[in-house]
Amino acid sequence: MEIPLAQEVIFGLVIGSYIALGAIGFTLVYGLVNMINFAHGEFITIGAFVGYLAVAEVGLPLPVAVFVALGGTAVVGWGIARITFEPMNDAGAVPLLLMSIGLGLVLRNGIRVIAGPDRRSIRTDVATYRFDDLGFFVTSQQLFIIGLTLASVLVLHLFLSRTMLGIAMRATADNEDLALVSGIDTRRVRNAVWLAASGLAGVAGVMLGTAQAASPTVGFGQLLLIITAAILGGAGSPYGAVAGSYILGIAVTVSVPFLQRLEETLALNLELTALNSTMAFVILIVVLLVRPGGLVSAEVRTS
Amino acid sequence: MSDGASRFEEFPVDAVHVGLTLFVLAVLFLYSPLFVQPPGGTFTVLEVVVLFLLYAMILVGLNLQFGHAGLVNFGPVAFFAVGGYTAAMLTANDPFRAVGLGYPWPVGLLAAILVAAALGVLLGISTLRLRDDFLAIVTLAVAEIIHGLLETQSDITGGSLGLNNVPRPIAGTTSAGDGAVLVSTIIVFGALAVLFYGVFRRLSASPYGRVLRAIRADEQVTETLGKRVFRYKLAVFVYGAAVAGLAGALLVFYNGAASAGFFTINVTVIVWIGMLIGGAGSDRGVLGGLAIIMGFQLFTRFLNDQIPFVTQDQFASLRLVLVGLLLMVIIKYRPEGIWGNADELGVDS
Repeated sequence: MEIPLAQEVIFGLVIGSYIALGAIGFTLVYGLVNMINFAHGEFITIGAFVGYLAVAEVGLPLPVAVFVALGGTAVVGWGIARITFEPMNDAGAVPLLLMSIGLGLVLRNGIRVIAGPDRRSIRTDVATYRFDDLGFFVTSQQLFIIGLTLASVLVLHLFLSRTMLGIAMRATADNEDLALVSGIDTRRVRNAVWLAASGLAGVAGVMLGTAQAASPTVGFGQLLLIITAAILGGAGSPYGAVAGSYILGIAVTVSVPFLQRLEETLALNLELTALNSTMAFVILIVVLLVRPGGLVSAEVRTS
Repeated sequence: MSDGASRFEEFPVDAVHVGLTLFVLAVLFLYSPLFVQPPGGTFTVLEVVVLFLLYAMILVGLNLQFGHAGLVNFGPVAFFAVGGYTAAMLTANDPFRAVGLGYPWPVGLLAAILVAAALGVLLGISTLRLRDDFLAIVTLAVAEIIHGLLETQSDITGGSLGLNNVPRPIAGTTSAGDGAVLVSTIIVFGALAVLFYGVFRRLSASPYGRVLRAIRADEQVTETLGKRVFRYKLAVFVYGAAVAGLAGALLVFYNGAASAGFFTINVTVIVWIGMLIGGAGSDRGVLGGLAIIMGFQLFTRFLNDQIPFVTQDQFASLRLVLVGLLLMVIIKYRPEGIWGNADELGVDS
């Protein structure tokens, strides 16, 4: 069945939305703590489970559950980072990266021990709005996800540009030593970064819990997409990460019919569409080779 | 840098000579009518020993890359997989729904090394100028792409079923059953592992190895001293790739089949954790670390039968939690590993 382009773009916007909230947190941590956090996907998983518990067990409405997941995941993520990453802040990029791999293994499998491998969907009432003349439909769930992401990005923008803490954050990301001598408490900034990054990951987790399901690997499954989006946007740049996420989300969904047509034209059965997520890794490598700084030209080469 | 010399002195027997001698003896043993029949209950342990020897070959290459030259290669399994599938596709006789060209096994072995090395050159040229942590991401992504291709391109690779009817050269030399094959395999792979250990140790203990450690310590200074940093990096990247490719070919010739399940990210995780536990840069230490982590996995496998109230799935997850905790504790409290040298690695413990 031929799916119209407008429909593919809507699917792409939805995927881009939850990648975006993950990628903003990932890139903030990269820019301010100087580490690639391989456990970031697990923060998303925690958010998905907090959201699921709030809706299914406590019976809260979804919008309230979003705030519960935001707050809960922010505190949990910050606490974990305080114990694991903060004491070895000066160890360098590679030890921090290895630490996050260990932490990811512990959290992912710890959640699996407690919750089991089952998928738990956050159930919501979904209304579908059809636009048959234009050939696409959109559900209230999709509108909720896209709207929530845009609202979060707006709040983040106001925070980064209008509050002292946000300005201090940008200064620290730009040059930590200079920020320190100007009297910025960089430790406090790092605390704020962990709170913001984990909180946004929590919101992304609730979105994934409604669009897909809460499971022990739900966040980990998005990790390479998140890293790709963050690098595509320029590692360390939150605005770049948002742009990178939507470009990636739309590219992944729009490429499916394109690949199908390519296969039909070549009359080959290469099962290219099964490579959907592999495409993201190809994009990642191409970006790093052609324009390693991403959209905003961040520095990722040695010397 | 006098420790290179002292390391040589504390090692009076050269592992290259030992490895070569062992290999000749192993081949003689294979073609003799002699065989060793291990006791029935030891098969599980012996199978882990076979895997240990193959992973050890990957690890000596990886240790030269990360332990000595500081290259963060998170995709050793990519070369392992490419070597394995190259060997399998060239030699398989009429596999079910996949490419099988039916060439003799030495062709497959040689091609596995060459193709893995070629991938190493390609990947090395394009990515080795990236910063440490980004090199880690790219190599990881390449390994995932290759794994994805192996699983989806089922007309070529057999997909999730894999390839079967691959020749088993070592099994063909004896008719005394699976146990005797296991022992023969261990003898041959063991000799090869010692040989590669010796070769890579010679490299790391020579002036060549000193340049690698200088690159890890400070690239710009090394470049200023007239060493072509990029060429050194590329060379160790390709050496490691070639040995991993060979190990992959040995695995499929041992199993008589190739399957994407042999070549998952778990291989990378085990080899890396073994290296970090043992102490990156310590040639013998990393093998000790690998033995510890694989021994732990083997031990806990037996333990699962003893604990009644934990399901198999929970137990597998618990095991991974422990592996992750071990990694975190090592990184935090003993970043140089058990046998590593903290000063040399430039880490604070």
